[in-house]
Amino acid sequence: MLAKRTKRIMYVLIAIITVLVVFPFIWMLVLSFKSNAEILSNPLALPHSLSWGNYVNALKTLDYPRLYANTFMVCLLALAIELVITFLSSFALARMVFDHPNLRRLVYGFLIAGLCVSPFILLFPVYKINIFFGLREQWALVFPYVASSISFNTLLFVGYLQALPPEIDEAAIIDGCSIWDLMIRIILPMTKPVIATVVIFNVLYMWNEYPFASVMLRRQADYTLAMGASFFKGTYTVDYGGIVASSVMIIIPELIFYGLFQKKIVGGMVAGAVKG
Amino acid sequence: MRWLSKTRYKVGFLIPTCLVYVIFIIAPIAIAIGYSFTRYSGIGRARFIGLSNYVRLIHDPFFWKSGANTIIIFVVASVLLMILSFFIALLLNNKLRFIDLSKSLIFSPAIIAPIIVGIIWVYILDPKVGIINGLLKAIGLRGWAKQWIGGTVLSPYSIAIIYFWQQLGYLVTIFIAGLKMIPEEVLEAAQIDGATGWQRVRYVVIPMMRSTISTVAVLIITGIFKIFEIVQQTTGGGPNHLSETLVTYSYSMTFTSSDYGYGMSIASVTFLISLALTGLYFIFGRKGE
Repeated sequence: MLAKRTKRIMYVLIAIITVLVVFPFIWMLVLSFKSNAEILSNPLALPHSLSWGNYVNALKTLDYPRLYANTFMVCLLALAIELVITFLSSFALARMVFDHPNLRRLVYGFLIAGLCVSPFILLFPVYKINIFFGLREQWALVFPYVASSISFNTLLFVGYLQALPPEIDEAAIIDGCSIWDLMIRIILPMTKPVIATVVIFNVLYMWNEYPFASVMLRRQADYTLAMGASFFKGTYTVDYGGIVASSVMIIIPELIFYGLFQKKIVGGMVAGAVKG
Repeated sequence: MRWLSKTRYKVGFLIPTCLVYVIFIIAPIAIAIGYSFTRYSGIGRARFIGLSNYVRLIHDPFFWKSGANTIIIFVVASVLLMILSFFIALLLNNKLRFIDLSKSLIFSPAIIAPIIVGIIWVYILDPKVGIINGLLKAIGLRGWAKQWIGGTVLSPYSIAIIYFWQQLGYLVTIFIAGLKMIPEEVLEAAQIDGATGWQRVRYVVIPMMRSTISTVAVLIITGIFKIFEIVQQTTGGGPNHLSETLVTYSYSMTFTSSDYGYGMSIASVTFLISLALTGLYFIFGRKGE
């Protein structure tokens, strides 16, 4: 198909592009082994020796197990709530009969519209609303995260549920299923693939989320990972080595997660974009 | 199904989602717009001052500066992203060895926390500790070493480049998904008719990718108004608000200066601009089809 020469040019181009994109990661890794003084005095040089000083420093300053536990907890709570409520609402929108079809379309459109709301207009009002409801610290993040997931989840769930053949419902009803049997024992198991996509997509969002966390979390004991990353920029000193090491410690688990669930992550991000 | 679709079930299933959505997405927008007509320092009560915040905004040079920076980022990033991600997608859509590895590596910046993206690029662009100036000085081009970030001129361009790096793989993947939908036969037919590679791209691929291209355009438009952490980490909006975008300027007015009413007026304007841009795009995009 392709001429040998074109192929060779393509390989070279792809290699260059890939290296350029990956380089910043590699550079972080290299820098993480340089001392603060080395970074400042000679940014270009490779580290003299493999020194773990920055990592030791970072681990001393920040309680990583705590950061991970906090982030994990917020993700778990938000996921549990959002999966239940958006599955229920999507089931109603996708499979139940509405006397006014326009009503169905209206509710669906209303829930999808959130996709074009950027979070920054929400930060301060949500801060106020959290105070009003007495939602504090981690709970102050859980509900905004649940709310932010609604549009995406609705889009994916409704799309998927509508594609399941209606005969399933008819057969189930003839067999004497109640609405709960039908929903939980028949439809839910068939929804597994899209649930996986939704979970992975939302975990990634919450894991990386910074704007809400920076506004809602007051106590350092409640910080999530993204907050931890911003922690080393002190008011009067900048601990370059510490920042790099702590960033590497946050990036590596993320890249592993990406490596494991790559297909689902990419698929979810593309599906969300293409359908939206 | 009809006789299981009792109203109380439907309402019961829909209410939790709608409630959370209204309380944490819809109501906040109304509240933000409400605050934009007040003066509020966080202590005591917000005082209604009519349109004063909007008058102040029109006369605020920093607001216009943030707007100009946002436009620079938008123009630079969207030109780079549109053109390069399309061509890289064409390149990566071939059956070559290591192509999957390359695709997943190029995608990887999109999954990293944006705040870490900002941190990473400090070590590349920073005038003192960054590698670019280090390299330029090492090869004797001291004069080329610029204040890529933190100066008064180049920051928005640098932020556009960082955003480009972050989004490239994601948009490439979307373009590849679009390319896969073009039937093989169409391209073969064009080839048999004697169309050159470029002609096939220009007259077959691009017209058939209309909907993918508009998806990417909407993603870029809405994405620009979500850039925040990158600015926060690289310049903090400084020096003296000169590298702010509309988003970071509203954040800074709201949470750093505790000028909540004014901050919300900037946030409301920014929100309306992003909605209007998306809307305009849809109106004109539809016309073309």
